[in-house]
Amino acid sequence: MRFQVEHKTTFTYAEAVDLACHMVHLLPRALPHQTVISRAIVAEPTPARQSQGIDHFGNEVNWLFLDQAHPHFTITLHAEVEVAFPAPPDPDSTPPWEQVATAREGGPAQWQAAEFTFASPMVAADRDVAVYVAKSFPPGRPILVGLIDLLARIRTDFTFQAGVTTIATPVGRVMAQRAGVCQDFTHLMISGLRSLGLPARYVSGYIRTRPPPGQVRRRGADQSHAWVGCWLGPAFGWVDVDPTNNLIVSDEHVVLGWGRDYGDLSPVRGVILGGGAHRLDVSVDLLAV
Amino acid sequence: MVDGIGGLRPHWRQLVSTFTAFGDGGWTEHAKRLNAAFDDEGVTGILPGTGRQSWRCDPLPLPIPATEFAHLADGLAQRAELLEAVLQDVYGAQQLLAEGVLPPVLVYDNEAYLRACHMSGPARRQPGHRFMDFYAADLVRGPDGAWRVLADRTAGAAGIAYARENRRTLARVIPEAFRGMQMRQLRPFFEIWQSALQRMGQERAAAARFAPPPGVGQGQLPLAQLPLADLSTPSLTNPGIALLTPGTGSRHWFEHMMLSRELSCALVEGGDLTVRGGAVYLKTLKGLQRVDVLLRRLDSRMIDPLELDAGSLIGVPGLMDAERSGAIRVTNDAGVGVMEAPAFAAWLPTLAIRLLGEKLKIDSVPTVWLGDRQAREMVWRSPERWMIREAVNGRSAAIEPARLTADERRTLLEDIAREPWRYAATTALAPSVAPCVGPNGMEPKPVILRVYMVFDGEEWRAMEGGLARVLEADEKMCGALPGEGLSKDVWVLNDERDDIVGPPMMPVMPIAIRRTTGDLPSRVADNLFWLGRYVERLEGSARLVRATILRLSRGAVMPRELVELAALSRSLVAADLVPAEAKMVSGGGEALSHALLASLRGRGWPPGSIAGLVDTVARLTESVRDRLTGDMYSAFTTALRQIRHDSQDVSHSWEALSVVMVDILRFSASVAGLAAENMVRGGGWLFLELGRRMERAQAICSQVGFSLEQSPARIEPALRLVLELCDSLITYRTRYLTVLQPAPVLDLVLADDGNPRGLAFQLAAIGHLLDQISGPGDGALSGIARGLLDDIQARVNTVAEAPDQAVAACLLPEILHKHAANIATLSDRVTRHYFALLPMAQTLGMGEENVGTGGTV
Repeated sequence: MRFQVEHKTTFTYAEAVDLACHMVHLLPRALPHQTVISRAIVAEPTPARQSQGIDHFGNEVNWLFLDQAHPHFTITLHAEVEVAFPAPPDPDSTPPWEQVATAREGGPAQWQAAEFTFASPMVAADRDVAVYVAKSFPPGRPILVGLIDLLARIRTDFTFQAGVTTIATPVGRVMAQRAGVCQDFTHLMISGLRSLGLPARYVSGYIRTRPPPGQVRRRGADQSHAWVGCWLGPAFGWVDVDPTNNLIVSDEHVVLGWGRDYGDLSPVRGVILGGGAHRLDVSVDLLAV
Repeated sequence: MVDGIGGLRPHWRQLVSTFTAFGDGGWTEHAKRLNAAFDDEGVTGILPGTGRQSWRCDPLPLPIPATEFAHLADGLAQRAELLEAVLQDVYGAQQLLAEGVLPPVLVYDNEAYLRACHMSGPARRQPGHRFMDFYAADLVRGPDGAWRVLADRTAGAAGIAYARENRRTLARVIPEAFRGMQMRQLRPFFEIWQSALQRMGQERAAAARFAPPPGVGQGQLPLAQLPLADLSTPSLTNPGIALLTPGTGSRHWFEHMMLSRELSCALVEGGDLTVRGGAVYLKTLKGLQRVDVLLRRLDSRMIDPLELDAGSLIGVPGLMDAERSGAIRVTNDAGVGVMEAPAFAAWLPTLAIRLLGEKLKIDSVPTVWLGDRQAREMVWRSPERWMIREAVNGRSAAIEPARLTADERRTLLEDIAREPWRYAATTALAPSVAPCVGPNGMEPKPVILRVYMVFDGEEWRAMEGGLARVLEADEKMCGALPGEGLSKDVWVLNDERDDIVGPPMMPVMPIAIRRTTGDLPSRVADNLFWLGRYVERLEGSARLVRATILRLSRGAVMPRELVELAALSRSLVAADLVPAEAKMVSGGGEALSHALLASLRGRGWPPGSIAGLVDTVARLTESVRDRLTGDMYSAFTTALRQIRHDSQDVSHSWEALSVVMVDILRFSASVAGLAAENMVRGGGWLFLELGRRMERAQAICSQVGFSLEQSPARIEPALRLVLELCDSLITYRTRYLTVLQPAPVLDLVLADDGNPRGLAFQLAAIGHLLDQISGPGDGALSGIARGLLDDIQARVNTVAEAPDQAVAACLLPEILHKHAANIATLSDRVTRHYFALLPMAQTLGMGEENVGTGGTV
């Protein structure tokens, strides 16, 4: 499936900002099953300085520095991406989850996955979440069987509801209120899997949406999305699953990048001097072509 | 002190014989004198959780023979190089993890491992990049006499300035102890360090991967029109070196201040720095000055809110980017703290062979990682012989199973069994003891030794000395430097055959010529200005209070005094010394008395209370401490301590109150004297003086205004009060004897620019100071001061020429209050013009917003 992405972020300030710097995680990552055909980031006003690099997780980062007074700042990603993630392996053929949980010990085959078994700044370990997730992993169950079971349970037990959480809401609270948005379900699932010693990472990107029946598709109505990368052991590697939508990622998701949690790849992070109060507008368009 | 068979180690012999000469009483006496010296100099402790307790040093040093120390230094140099090699790997290719040499937990579960320091692509490290140039180790000596490393300190170990301070103070207070002893000097180490920083700066400038982008230096800078001061001067020959501190709130503030002096570098806070066009600049009064090397003494995680801790507004946004591009050298680099994980010690022998091809020269205190099953079983067998620590947190306290109850021990073992990889264990060994001076003579106590190392560009060099720390009875030995307690100077004693080596003061290497980032940082100018203002405000308040209690204490007040008291109460209210309700309209002064006493006892309320002013002066003094000479600082703190001490006795006694006021006036006089006699007439002095003159000018306007708010018939008591408040009674009497008339009084306190207590003098001084600060050609601000002066002199002339001077004088208050406001406005313009008040920084994208809600398919 081929998509055109436009992701536009605008900060509007109450007073002019004198000095600003931004760290941007907006470039879709080139992957074996995701071909990036074109991509560009446009910032307005034009930054005085730009630099780029590849972060610890292999994601591309851009840094933008503005030193002229500006009342607003807009940054837009334009990209065209072809995705075709392979079908997941036969769940019954995947190793028992306990075997995957040895990843923490490291070694040549699993040292990189091991990083994603530890708690991270925005995904703390939580006893209730651990108990909830562990129910999907009775002794000896193949890892992917457990994951599929867990996805279905999250879909049933949790309500998708915007506005009841913020990015800083701890997973324990999400567990208690059984409601939240994609980031919350993603952080919650990651937290629970890590409690079992299973490597789990935060994947940032977009998902194709369809207008309600009988309505036309509105421009800019799409949104950023987040889901979970799960490790199935050295033989099968990583498989992405989407707890918000109870599905295994195939060809309707576009990957920007991954990290331990949201904090590792906030799309547009920044520090400004001045500005007073600010307003944030985000619009995302994911158009299948 | 003793060898394995109970004999005195040879290097102790001479020391003991020197010190024995003091006799028993001498010991305690020396200890007391040392304590007093540290108190006087305000050497506050770096002791966690103890507030601002003064530093303590035992009169008896810890002697180490030169050969023994050389062995230590050699071993630590190897260790530092090993840690550097591990850092290169974990922030680079990560071979050690990929090959399974290190378990992932040591790095990936380590909060000090900063992923922002592990970038690749265009943001990769420059070739030859080093992480560590400074290293310290905490060592203990076991019963076998061998030193072992208890903790590696890579993240800027504290205490080195205290070591220097210990030596200096000992030499001053007990010079006789140094007689006949040949110990190595500490100063050469700082010379080496300084040269190393210098070299880093030159390398930085030579690397030239950075070039100033267009736009910078062309007058387009948005912030307070700060020009770039030194873009024309290449920093190749005179690199800008600055020590980055969290500021006066840090418990290491004293250390940072002393260190910046030893290394002759600027002492800066995050807010003093700004990143423009990818380079780092210091905001000074003269514009932006390039910084080439940043000696980092701020926690790694706090240095850049853009990439690290987003909540850290004491950092410098963009610093990491500037460092990656080679525009600045940060030393030690961010992220080095990862090596402080206690569990690393278990791998160092293996790593030494793997990375250096050598055996480790100095052992660690035996350490195991409990993620390893065999190690766990070994610890299980005899838990009381071990101390349990968090595997990756070097700052965590050790748990001693031997001191736990059976229940507590069971809980601990359960915790470990659940997540064994979170824990490490070190042998609980008893460090060897050294004699210390206690209240009852000499007592042997266990000591920990901290040794400091610096990389000079080619090799690691040790400071030939160190900081020893006495362990108190119930203290846990985990290597976190000084808890509360006693320190010891460390003497590296020359071997007898070394004696011919020449004077110990000889520097080891030629010192590079250097010019430091010398111009006054805006923040320092700002603080000095306010220090001047607050010292003066304190003095003015004391004069007001003294004049008031003089009248209140007489009991039955005469009508004339009631007029004066009413005027005084207006001034007291205006100065926020008492609440508005205390203003006297008529009758006795009970309400005023109560309010005044409350104000002296109270803290923080009313806002202008004496106690509040004293606190503010103390805080500002601390913030500019690095700009004051030792004598000045000591005079400040001694006087402030005296004021606080005497204030405690203030109950209802007017006499006790007077004592405090006298303290304050004496303090203020000594500040004025010290500033006049001890401060170079540069930027710092100009701002201190300017603050003082502005405050006094404003106070005179306001107090004379309130005094003259009378009917013309009562002008005489008002005039007397004016003279008293302006401390001009004597001058008036010598000029005019006892006849009080409005024009001569007002001439003396308002128009005569020869009277240092008068308004004209202040305004003239303000004009002059502003001229000096702005330099020739920019007289905008000083012109305002001169305009005010002309106006006030004209007003006094009008009074002199008026048919009824009293009536004319009573018309002045309105004008005087207006001038007080004008002076406040001028002060405001000065702060805005020179101190580049920056708006608050705020972070975006890590908080409430950007919640991708991800609709369902």
